[in-house]
Amino acid sequence: MLLFLIRSLEAAMIFTFAGLGELVDQRSGILNVGLEGIMLFGATLGFIAAKTTGNYLLGFLVGIGIGALLGLLHGFFSITLGVDQVVSGMGIWIFGFGMTTYIGNPHTGPLGLDKLATWFGVSPFFYLAVIMVVLVWFVLNKTGFGLKIRSVGERPSVAEVSGISVTRIRYMSVIFGGLMSGFAGAVYALYYNPVWNYNFLMGWGFISLALVFFSMWNPYILFGGAVLFGLLWQLALNPQMFFPGLASRYIWRMAPFIMTILVLVLISSKWFRSRWGATKPESLGQPYHKE
Amino acid sequence: MAKPNTKEESIELHGDIWKHIQPGEVVLDAQGITKRYPGGVLANDHIDFKVKAGEIHAILGENGAGKTTLMSILFGLLQPDEGQIYVRGLQVRFRSPEDAIKMGIGMVHQHRKLIPAHSVLENILLGHPRSKGVMNQKLAEEEIMALAERYGFEIDPRAKVWQLTEGEKQVVEIVKALYRGAKILILDEPTSALTPLETDRLLESITNMTQDALGVVPFITHKLPVVLAISDEVTILRRGKVVDRLKTAGATEQMLAQRMVGRPVIFDLQKEPMEPGEPVIQVEGLTARNNKGVIALDDVSFTVREGEILGIAGVAGNGQHELAEVLFGLRELEGGRILFTGQDITRASVLDRWKLGMGYTPSERTEVGSIPDFTLVENVAMNYYFDNRYNHRGFLDYKGLRQLTEEIIEEFDVATPGPDVRIRTLSGGNLQKIILGRVLSRQPKLVIANLPAQGLDVGATEFVQRKLLEARAQKAAVILISEDLDEILSLSDWIAPMYEGKIVDMIPAAEAQKDDIGAMIAGIHQEERSS
Amino acid sequence: MTLGGYQIRLQRRTNLPGWKAALISVLAVLFGLGLFSIIFLQAGQDPLEIYKQIFSYAFFNPYGRGLTINRFIFLALASFAFIIPMQAGLWNIGMPGQLYLGALAAFGVVYLFGGKSGELTASGAVVIPLMIIAAMIAGGLYGAIAGFLKGKWNVNEIVVTMMLNFIAFYLVAFMIKDGGPFMNLGGRGESFELPEAARAPMTGGYPITLWFVFILTAVLAALFSRMGLGYQIRAFGKSPMAARYAGVKPFFIAVLVFTLGGAIAGLAGYHYFGAVPGVFKIARTYGYFGDLSFYGVICGLISLGNPIASLVIALLFGGLSIGGRYAQGKLHLPFGVDFALMGMLMISLVAFQFFYNYQILITKKERRLDVAVSD
Repeated sequence: MLLFLIRSLEAAMIFTFAGLGELVDQRSGILNVGLEGIMLFGATLGFIAAKTTGNYLLGFLVGIGIGALLGLLHGFFSITLGVDQVVSGMGIWIFGFGMTTYIGNPHTGPLGLDKLATWFGVSPFFYLAVIMVVLVWFVLNKTGFGLKIRSVGERPSVAEVSGISVTRIRYMSVIFGGLMSGFAGAVYALYYNPVWNYNFLMGWGFISLALVFFSMWNPYILFGGAVLFGLLWQLALNPQMFFPGLASRYIWRMAPFIMTILVLVLISSKWFRSRWGATKPESLGQPYHKE
Repeated sequence: MAKPNTKEESIELHGDIWKHIQPGEVVLDAQGITKRYPGGVLANDHIDFKVKAGEIHAILGENGAGKTTLMSILFGLLQPDEGQIYVRGLQVRFRSPEDAIKMGIGMVHQHRKLIPAHSVLENILLGHPRSKGVMNQKLAEEEIMALAERYGFEIDPRAKVWQLTEGEKQVVEIVKALYRGAKILILDEPTSALTPLETDRLLESITNMTQDALGVVPFITHKLPVVLAISDEVTILRRGKVVDRLKTAGATEQMLAQRMVGRPVIFDLQKEPMEPGEPVIQVEGLTARNNKGVIALDDVSFTVREGEILGIAGVAGNGQHELAEVLFGLRELEGGRILFTGQDITRASVLDRWKLGMGYTPSERTEVGSIPDFTLVENVAMNYYFDNRYNHRGFLDYKGLRQLTEEIIEEFDVATPGPDVRIRTLSGGNLQKIILGRVLSRQPKLVIANLPAQGLDVGATEFVQRKLLEARAQKAAVILISEDLDEILSLSDWIAPMYEGKIVDMIPAAEAQKDDIGAMIAGIHQEERSS
Repeated sequence: MTLGGYQIRLQRRTNLPGWKAALISVLAVLFGLGLFSIIFLQAGQDPLEIYKQIFSYAFFNPYGRGLTINRFIFLALASFAFIIPMQAGLWNIGMPGQLYLGALAAFGVVYLFGGKSGELTASGAVVIPLMIIAAMIAGGLYGAIAGFLKGKWNVNEIVVTMMLNFIAFYLVAFMIKDGGPFMNLGGRGESFELPEAARAPMTGGYPITLWFVFILTAVLAALFSRMGLGYQIRAFGKSPMAARYAGVKPFFIAVLVFTLGGAIAGLAGYHYFGAVPGVFKIARTYGYFGDLSFYGVICGLISLGNPIASLVIALLFGGLSIGGRYAQGKLHLPFGVDFALMGMLMISLVAFQFFYNYQILITKKERRLDVAVSD
């Protein structure tokens, strides 16, 4: 039972890392639907780096590095080249999916390193995730830099005439988003599920994306949603703990995905929109052209 | 960077070049400003002008005269191809608005440059040196209040901007510019969205500001009385060139208008007397909410007959837009009933309304009224894809549509290389002509024209207005929504001023007084009545 | 920017003629293939030589050609499943889920006719058409979920279709593994084999699904270029607000395009598991086939939604992915060469999107004459 809770929190921390990056990204007006691709890259390259060198730190650094690079690439496509953000994000996802399938295949199997240490039974990354949630909230709402990020996401033309470089702020946000996703992928592959396999990320990137929509762009709600999904994921893996003998394990495995759809429907409903809808960054997904 | 500690210091942040200004001294000097756009269009052609301390220097010109370009250059949004700008004798080059702001130039745009979701305080702080690191909102709030008091502005720093009226938003923008240390204020169409009362109040504050040795440069298109009321000097632009520069004292409206347009202005619309026919549209108790969920249309009833134009007058955001959308089925009704030629169409779909003979020209011409990436032919098809004349058992008759498009181009005098170019290549005026031509070619029984002439030059405005009168002459009913009282007065048979979602009164054109209507759309009559 | 005596400038396009768009697409594919050759270089091979082998295997070797055509049918159907919603501005990345459902429905028909035991209780002439219809209906209904949610509440269709993929993935697992109703008793977690009589007939050495591809191409081409319905879909895709103003019903369009797309994806599922010679069962590695349908995204984007162009692209990619598999075996490369190709092509395509919006102008630097505005 305790293990169940711990694993849930550890799943939650991964959703949180990826979600926080995407949240900042979206707050600056850039939608990155290619989260899954970046996480796959972070997971696969981080896994390979750690496995071949036996060095965990290197694995995480590679994950963060490749994440930042892909974030930069998304920025280059969608900010500098003016490519449709969804096209670019989808491109990064398929790129990540296709390439990591090929690159990771020879390394299929367990990581083969000693498991990382825990603090009070939970991975230290969990505490880091909590700190990051508070930090991101504080920066977004209490600092001038956060004001700039939010303004750029609402009305970039207004930010520009106030003397702010929209391009610079958006690049910073999109790189941060990529870096966090790459890191989340590395944590997944090096700690949570250290066995490389074809498509082993199971759509966690897309679930994190849905969590950002659900969060109404508030880091605290994002964290709450992440914990909820962590619990749900563990339940789907171990239904016999609570409902022994009820339905096939494959049916249980569908639960988090069905839940994601239900959550999206809930937040898209008129009832919900009329209460919270105003929080959506106004120019999310729209390219900005300097006039 | 050293943070200013006192209130005075932050206001005088860039004070070093602004010390010891004498009234009448030249503070801004633009020489030979030239800007050429790709394709060879010369938007600014060697423009010179000087602004003196403590003076208001108006720039007057039609749309397309090069005002926007000039403004953008002065504020660093665009870089000139040629020419120099001097601020207090110091030659400057602005690569971005930030540079201009640092030199003490502030700008208040015609289309509000504020973030609706943020508070007034956040909007003012955005980009201000005060907002570096962790923001000290309390100190900033005190400073802003002090500044607002000095010039007689009323401001609530904690309010969200979307809750403010247009006039209040404008005040926020001015305060924002001043708080950043602006010494020269550029105002783009400062009064266009304001009620007469708000206009008076603003002009008074502007005059106050000049006493602090600030230069003020309003850019104005058509509100000539405003120019005469406040400015000391006027520079008139036409087709990118300075055509005249004169002292305001002694100038007349007629004279300014003539210089601006380049020919004598005669607004002589042939409005034939019409015998009103059968009722075309009758609405009762229309009530609807806006996008924010607030009641924006409140119990509106009226009738329009064949051969009548009903002019809906009002300042933006008083429910006219929602009215148009509700009439055309684009917005959900909270209550009320719509009868069209006697038939209840309250629940009819948009498609049914087109088929029944309603037509709508939206104010958002590029977002709603047209599909920018479609060709002219495909855009004309927007009103014909369902029409049996052009849809034969599911297949569209593109040949016929092409011919129809060519006819519209011909009749409406649309400047275009041909019917097969993407419509995004057309200018605003030509786009509106195509939209109007497309809708009128269906010979609708009712035309709803939402801001039909907004943003068009004088020639296109006249053309559009004449076409609406022609439709009226052919016994169509017309609902004209406009923010321009002169347009309303010269076209309408009945005038319905709107304020806060209600129709204040229904006035026959013959009895309409401009002053009265101006007061009604500002909500003055209503307040008197309720008190 | 200036370089030597020349000035290089970027300019937003106002118009893009068809041939230029095609040229950009061709360049994007070539660039992607260039990127892809990194893999061969890394394996110490001459990319040109390998490409020669890939093409000759995929298009000229009789065995390879058969594989290529089968994959071409699959990719073309996957592209159509993507293109129809794409024309309406919506993203269908739910082809895997829709095709799993299609395959399950087709096998369900066989199951109902007692086909699990190896003998059908009705003739193939009855069962096979029913399989195809069931596959299309199931795929269509599954697709319609995303369309319904989009049209009714504007729920993000990308996340929804992706989630539906995983749900369908486990549904297949439930049906064919762990004692599920479709389980092959002798196999290792795969479905029962189709009885001889329920296997798709061949015409000219290729499955009949090839004809479906040709018919669908003609129908879709007519739909988008000539028909009023296609016009409504395209108008909605370019500008939903303008389309609504013109009387197009957003809910109807969203449900329609996802239903049509899903039905075609369902057909693709029927094709791979019920019509490709030598398969005739839902294999243990069905996930791999499902993921291959993401090629449809690339085909659709590269052909700018044009069904005829997407056919050509699908043939090329079909050959490349089959040839890539061949090279993979020959050079002892890791599994997933065809997925690596997919990734490379996609990223190259995204980079080339830029040229749809901008053009690079290179002009000789000289003093230009001032042109005054003329009437």
